[in-house]
Amino acid sequence: MSNNRLSVFVAPLLFLTLLLLPRPGLCQESANCLACHSSMKGRIKNVSGALVELNVDAEKFNASVHGSLSCSDCHIRFSDNPHTTPSSGVPQAVLSLSTKLSSKFKVDPVAGAACITCHEETYKMVLGSMHGKNIVEKNQTDGALCLDCHGSPHYITPVKEENSPVGRGHQVETCGKCHGDEKIIEKYGLEENVMESFRESFHGRKLHLGHTRAPSCSSCHNAHDIRSKTDPESPVFGKNKLVTCGKCHKGANEKFVPAISHKRPGPIPHYGEKALIILTMGTFAFIVLHVLLEAFSDIRDAIFRKKEEEE
Amino acid sequence: MSETTTPQEVPAEIERFDIIFRIQHVVMFTTFLLLSFTGWGLKYAHAPQGLSSIWIRVWGGADMAGLIHRIAGVTMLLDFISHVIYLIYLFATKKMTINLKTTVIPLPKDVFDVVQNFLYFLGLSKEKPRFGKFSYAQKFDYWAVFWGMFIIGSSGYALAFPMQVSYIIPQFVTGWIWELLWLMHSDEALLAIVFILFWHFYNEHLKPEVFPMSWIWITGKISTEKLKHHHPLEYELLFPEAAKKNKKHQGE
Repeated sequence: MSNNRLSVFVAPLLFLTLLLLPRPGLCQESANCLACHSSMKGRIKNVSGALVELNVDAEKFNASVHGSLSCSDCHIRFSDNPHTTPSSGVPQAVLSLSTKLSSKFKVDPVAGAACITCHEETYKMVLGSMHGKNIVEKNQTDGALCLDCHGSPHYITPVKEENSPVGRGHQVETCGKCHGDEKIIEKYGLEENVMESFRESFHGRKLHLGHTRAPSCSSCHNAHDIRSKTDPESPVFGKNKLVTCGKCHKGANEKFVPAISHKRPGPIPHYGEKALIILTMGTFAFIVLHVLLEAFSDIRDAIFRKKEEEE
Repeated sequence: MSETTTPQEVPAEIERFDIIFRIQHVVMFTTFLLLSFTGWGLKYAHAPQGLSSIWIRVWGGADMAGLIHRIAGVTMLLDFISHVIYLIYLFATKKMTINLKTTVIPLPKDVFDVVQNFLYFLGLSKEKPRFGKFSYAQKFDYWAVFWGMFIIGSSGYALAFPMQVSYIIPQFVTGWIWELLWLMHSDEALLAIVFILFWHFYNEHLKPEVFPMSWIWITGKISTEKLKHHHPLEYELLFPEAAKKNKKHQGE
């Protein structure tokens, strides 16, 4: 009897759960996790005090480049329902990296380090870059790691797709999250105004208008292997610019490469522009005044002085 | 209308611009419009609501708009050079000579004409300035193109072909010249557009006496009646007898 009654409850629940189950394409384990997490909402605080977003959009996850992975490929600490923690399974490389990243990834440092299992070369490049060193060597929370640029790990899309935060359409915005942030600029003594001056540059304007060959940030500054402009290995350090600019501008020479340097303009362009503005406004004032007065006098003549001319 | 001038002496109209000048003008304004339309999108690339992106798409996208801009720019420069060469030819063959009453070169008289015209506009004088072949307004219009060619044309060439230009510029200017060239090109282009919209459009299109436009750009001809009225000094120079008779007639 009780079994029957239970089935009355359980059957519709099971049916509903089936409805909620993500489409095929997800592996069985992901489907299990998403059965709950795709319908959960809100955030909870975990042991380390970080807010954990509970919801995972199953459809978006499925469509992402990592849609075929199972949850525990990255969330190695969580094996199966419900969130048991077999620490034994975590590879040494990931585990040691995760301890270095704990300042950055409060939610699941192991998952943050797990990218290295597939993207070893790229991840190592990031860790050796300006961005990575700031985290693993200086234990700061600033400095971009994978997710800061690529967005939520569950919804990473190919770089060529329009909504990719590191694609041509959104890359400038993404870099600008930090490089346009006054606090970060001040804290690390970064070049000021770089986002604005890039937007105003020829390259920035063309990129914005959808020019197919206009460069974005990473075209010149590299993506994962970001270095300080004072680092001799940086693509924008001294003579390296000849190679970097030469990628698009064949034969780039030393007098050519300063053409685009998105710094604040020096005094000559600054006062040059002021002079041009004065000239423009002066000419504009003269012609507008002239045209208005002439029109006024033409009207006056047409009304009051017509007879005088005929005489 | 005076009966004293005989039609044999004074033709109904005279040629003001020959066919070469007229072709140069057509090429000039065609390329000017193309350059303005495509350049506007780049100058205001970050216009709100992505308006400029939409506008640039009208021109076939940023790549195509850039190509149109370069082709039109080079064509305009060639048009300008052809004009200068033609002028040199006209002077060399004595088909054109410098006369104070017909020259387009700015003279001190033009300054007085401006003052006189303003006095007339304000009702402080009943005398309109008496112009030669080219009024100061027309001289202004003409030399504005030279200024534009000098500033916008040269900077535009450098920006379109930076690699070639980088070989000829001296080392010490490289730190600021590119920024300056870009500002020159952009600011003066705006000035040129504003100038054409207000000055040229008012004087040659919107003025009541020429509306909808002065047809000289197609016919190249001006009626002697208009010439007498708007360019009295040239009229007197070309038809001294008729002008004298006219004066006598008025004096009587």
